[in-house]
Amino acid sequence: MRLISICLLVAVLAGCTANLKRLDTGETLLGERLAVDLRDPWTQVNVIGQPPRWTIEGLPLDMLLVYPGVKDGAAIYKAPAGSEAKVVSFRASMQPEEIIAMFEAALSAGGSTFTLTKLEPKTFIGRKGLRFEFGFLRRSDNMRLSGVGFAAVDNAELFAMLYIAPRLEFFGRHQAKVEQTAGSAKLWARSATLAQETAKPAQPQQERPCITTMECRARGEVYTR
Amino acid sequence: MMDRAEARLRSSPFIVRDAQLQACVEDIACLLAGNHCPDIRVYLARTPYFNASMAPNGMMQVWSGLMLRADNEAQLAAVLGHEIGHYLERHSLGRLRAASSGATAAQIMGFFGPAGLLGGVAVAAGLQGYSRDHEREADRIGALLMSKAGYDVRKAAKVWENLLAELKARPGGPQTRRTLFATHPPQEERQKALAELAAAYPGGEANAAPWHERIKPFLREWLADEIKRGQREESIAFLTRAVAQRPAAQEYLYARGEVYRLRAAAGDLDAALADFQEATRLGSEPPETHRSLGFIFRVRRQAPEAIASFQRYLEATPQAPDADMIRSYLEELRV
Repeated sequence: MRLISICLLVAVLAGCTANLKRLDTGETLLGERLAVDLRDPWTQVNVIGQPPRWTIEGLPLDMLLVYPGVKDGAAIYKAPAGSEAKVVSFRASMQPEEIIAMFEAALSAGGSTFTLTKLEPKTFIGRKGLRFEFGFLRRSDNMRLSGVGFAAVDNAELFAMLYIAPRLEFFGRHQAKVEQTAGSAKLWARSATLAQETAKPAQPQQERPCITTMECRARGEVYTR
Repeated sequence: MMDRAEARLRSSPFIVRDAQLQACVEDIACLLAGNHCPDIRVYLARTPYFNASMAPNGMMQVWSGLMLRADNEAQLAAVLGHEIGHYLERHSLGRLRAASSGATAAQIMGFFGPAGLLGGVAVAAGLQGYSRDHEREADRIGALLMSKAGYDVRKAAKVWENLLAELKARPGGPQTRRTLFATHPPQEERQKALAELAAAYPGGEANAAPWHERIKPFLREWLADEIKRGQREESIAFLTRAVAQRPAAQEYLYARGEVYRLRAAAGDLDAALADFQEATRLGSEPPETHRSLGFIFRVRRQAPEAIASFQRYLEATPQAPDADMIRSYLEELRV
C-alpha cells in the first residue's frame, strides 16, 4: 500500500514515471563508486533526470537525496520546464562553504527557505568532508522541515547525502538511521584498472571482500553475505 | 476557492509579520485605492521575486523581492497602483471566467502553491498574462492613482526600467523578455506612454528615506534570499544600482561581493574582495563580510590575512552555525 501511495505521489509531483526499488538491509552499491551498509530498509524512487531519492515514510514526507559521484561541471539541480531557467552545478574546486551554497541554491529554488543551523568538518566516504544541519521551509505545502547533510569530494567527484523530513515528527524518528547510513558510506574502485589510476584509492580492492554477486563474479571470488 | 486560498495564505509561514511594515504598505495601498481601500487586504510574503498581485476578492500579495527592489515608496506605489488598476477594471475577473481549470485560476490570482514553485521575475510577471490593452489601461489608472495619492509618477517608468535592466543582464535575455513582456506593450512604447503620463501628472513625492528605514530590519534576510536565488547577473545588476543609490551601502556591497564570490567567473574573486573591503571601510558591515574575506584569502593561500579575517568573524559571531568549520580552517592555516 505504501509503495502504491509513493508511486502515485511521485508520479503526480514529478509529472513523469517513477521507478521504485526496495533497498534491503546490507551493503548496497550506489552509482559506480559509492557503497553503504544499510541497517534499515529504504525505498528508492528514481525519476528520470533527478538524483535517486530514498524514503522510509514515503515521498514527500521524508526524503534522502543521494549524490553518488557528481562530476565536475554537472548539474545537481535543473529548473522544471516552463519555469525560470536555473541550473545549479557542482565545480570540483568548490570549498565546503561553496558546496553548502550550492545545496542552498538548489533547495531554495521556487522560493523555499533554507537556513543553515550547523556546519562542521566530518569524515565522509573516508575523506575529509563536512556535515551540516538545516531548517527548511517548503513553499509547495508551507511545511517546516529539518535536514542533515553529508558531503565530500574525491577525485573531482562530489559524494553527498541530504535527508529532509518534517521537523516535528519524522526527522527525529529517522535521524539516527540516516547518520548510520551516512557513516557507513565508503568508496570502492570501479575496476582494478581505475584503482591503479586513482592516486588515493579509497580502499584497496584486495583488502575488501567483494560486496555484490556481480563484483564477486568479476573478481573470481565466492559471494557470501 | 478564493476564500480557501486566502485562509491558507493568512496562516502561511512565508507571511512577513511585522506591524510597522504591514501598516506602511497598507497605507500606500489605501492611499492609492481611495474609496476602495476597505476592499483591499494586503499580505506581505517572504518570496525573493519581483511581484505583486491582486485577486478579484481584494486579496493583495506583495512579495519581498519587490519590496527589496523598490528604491522608494513611489516605485512600490507604481506597482501596487498598476495592480489596483487591474482590480478596478476587473481584468482578472474576466480572465477567471475564461479560465479552463482551477489551476489556471489559481495562477491568475497569484496564489501560493503551483505559482510559488515556479518562481522568478519573468515567470511571476508572465503569470499575470493580461492582454496588452489591459496592461496599458492598468498603467494609465496606476499613474492616475499615484498622482492622486501624492506620489511622483515618473517613478512608474523607473521601476519598469530597473526591472528591464535586470532581465537584460541575464544570459539569454531575449528569451526572458519574451516570457515577461509577452503580454506587455513593447518597452519603448510603454516608456513613452509612462513619460507622457508623468508629464500629465507633475509633482509628487518619492519618499525614499522613509521606505529605506522601514525595510531596514529585513534587509539582511531579504538580501540573503536574493543571493540564494542563484540568478547571479540579475542580482549584480540590482545590487550595483543599490550600492550607488541607497543608504547602508555596506549591506549591498557585502551581498554583491557574495554573488561575485559564488559566481566565481574570471575576475569575480577580485571584484568580491573589493566589495568586502569597501564594506569594511564603510563600517557596520555584516559580520559575514569577514568570513567571506577569509574564504578568499584562504583560497589564495594568504594565511595571515585569512586568519585575521576568520578571527574577526568568530569574535563577532562566536555562536555562528559554521563556527566549527571556521575553527577547523584556523587550525589548518596555523600549521
